[in-house]
Amino acid sequence: MRYDIRTSLSGPVLALRDQLTFGDRNAFDEVVEELAKPGTTAVTVDLEQLSYMDSAGLGMLLTLRDRAERAGAVVKLVSPRGEVKDLLELACFDTLFTIEV
Amino acid sequence: MDGRRPIRVLVVDDERLNREVVAVNLRAARYDIATAEDGQEAWEALAADPDGFDVVVLDRRMPRMDGMQLLAKLKADERLRNIPVIMQTAYASSEDVVEGIKAGVYYYLGKPLDRRLLLSVVASAVEERARWRMLQEELEKRSGYMSLLTRGTFRFRTLEEGNILAVALAKACPRSRFLVVGLSELLTNAVEHGNLGITFDEKARLIAEKGWSAEIERRLADPAFGARMVTVEVERSRHEARITITDEGEGFDWRPYMELEASRAFAAHGRGIAMARRLSFDSLEYRGRGNQVVCVVRDDSAPPAVACSPAAVHGPEDLRLARSMQAELLPTRARLEEMQARYGLKVSGLFETSCDLGGDLWGIEPIDGSRFALWLADFSGHGVGAALNTFRLHTLIRNQSEARGQPAAYLAELNLRLTGLLPTGQYAAMLYGVVDVAEGLFTYAAAAAQHPLAVRLADGGTERGDGSGLPLGITAKAAYAERRLALPPGTLLFLTSDALAENPGRDGSVLGRDGVTRLVADGARRLGAGLTAPALLAPFLAACDRPLRDDLTAVCCLR
Repeated sequence: MRYDIRTSLSGPVLALRDQLTFGDRNAFDEVVEELAKPGTTAVTVDLEQLSYMDSAGLGMLLTLRDRAERAGAVVKLVSPRGEVKDLLELACFDTLFTIEV
Repeated sequence: MDGRRPIRVLVVDDERLNREVVAVNLRAARYDIATAEDGQEAWEALAADPDGFDVVVLDRRMPRMDGMQLLAKLKADERLRNIPVIMQTAYASSEDVVEGIKAGVYYYLGKPLDRRLLLSVVASAVEERARWRMLQEELEKRSGYMSLLTRGTFRFRTLEEGNILAVALAKACPRSRFLVVGLSELLTNAVEHGNLGITFDEKARLIAEKGWSAEIERRLADPAFGARMVTVEVERSRHEARITITDEGEGFDWRPYMELEASRAFAAHGRGIAMARRLSFDSLEYRGRGNQVVCVVRDDSAPPAVACSPAAVHGPEDLRLARSMQAELLPTRARLEEMQARYGLKVSGLFETSCDLGGDLWGIEPIDGSRFALWLADFSGHGVGAALNTFRLHTLIRNQSEARGQPAAYLAELNLRLTGLLPTGQYAAMLYGVVDVAEGLFTYAAAAAQHPLAVRLADGGTERGDGSGLPLGITAKAAYAERRLALPPGTLLFLTSDALAENPGRDGSVLGRDGVTRLVADGARRLGAGLTAPALLAPFLAACDRPLRDDLTAVCCLR
């Protein structure tokens, strides 16, 4: 997993790059801690540069969603491409997240 | 058996009637019989004459010293540990059987006694014991010149040649005494099951009827089989010996034979590979269509690498047990044969984990005279956590039967239960469907599953279903759609987990969704009515390094 976090007017933006897979669980947990802070109302995950995500990656997005909701924030996924977009569709994640194509 | 005296069997049971039934049957087969009333009496007899007995038939539950206690004493005694012990039990829970096998039970016999099985099992045990003795004696005689070998190719044709080679090679390698038994087993397999095409079932029958040697001779003289050779390639380095055995037979599906499974403890045959793997080698891997096996034995000074972390944490014994418990969750071969007899559809599965334990599961359940349920689930992640979830799911599925004929309602109900059980971030992808033989239809519901495929065997024409749906265990509010695939006669229904599309081959490429469809369509055309899941996926598996990156499950249902 490669990523960076930038700040926008609406809140933090997590930009994921390359791959999000089973081996990234611990690193992703730390990212979640950083993003889901009290006072945050929206977290954006930019998937444009993410080329591959496995089933564990989907689980990580769910963990982020859960932690953000508890902090009072909503999670928005933007610009999924290729296989990542296919996987989100297969799992009907548009019913759990706001997804902006 | 060594020419001095007839083969003597010690029959140990506290109930006189049981003892007599076993003794009478064995006497009729011309074995010499001694009896003991409990473990203590048996122990005294054995300790007094360690060379006097060839096989022990042992009851599990007895006063004073029970079967397991006697077994432990035998295994701890250098003089007695190689006498095969056949355990008889009326209480055949799988835990008991697995425990017994781990403690060194050779075979399990159920009660009440099946006479034919008793004779076949005793004959096999005697056969193996004789072979073991012969190999150890040969090993003593052999000089160690082969240890100078670093690389070599051997070719042979007969069982006798195979045994000579097994002894010579073992002598050149670390842990010869154990290695020779496993090596001889694999070389024997290459001749009798590989080149000569004798199946495991045929071998069991031949041994019981004492016609095994004659059949081997007959096939060796048969031009169709007799010209086939076994090739053995050996490479030795300072740390390990690598032995590759290739036969010229049709190959076989080796997967069911890799573990000592409780379900096969009751069978007289087909355990040699698992025994070899467990006792003789550091690794053993079948390749291609099953006609090649690569085995490695390492020097003790260089301990084997541990590929997966759970082994290091929990110890290999626990893991073996966990693996065999997980394997028991899957449909047995007998179950699939029963389904075929009942519904006229041939169902086969393939299950290969990426680690010691897997996060996949599949199953098949009859519903009524013309319908059965077929399902496949894949938990997120892999390893121990995902494996524990498969046990959870198995329990839930067993306890849930109301909606089993209605896939969408069934998945919704299962989802509701899993949502309470699974922690955040863990979920299951699943496809649950009902095969209706009368209507020629597969009605299914999906939760982020791989798309099911219906493929015409005649021309590979494919209809791709839709696997989309919310994964199970995320939100209680999930609802599922019911979808259909037509299954006219001559159609293959194919279900799989995501590893097939996503696991990279050696060249780094992945099949992807379209690649999976092509693989299955090509395979259906090529294999036709003889198609099985392992055969269908063989080209894919041959192109992948092991272990796979994710657990792989595939189910084929052939109408």
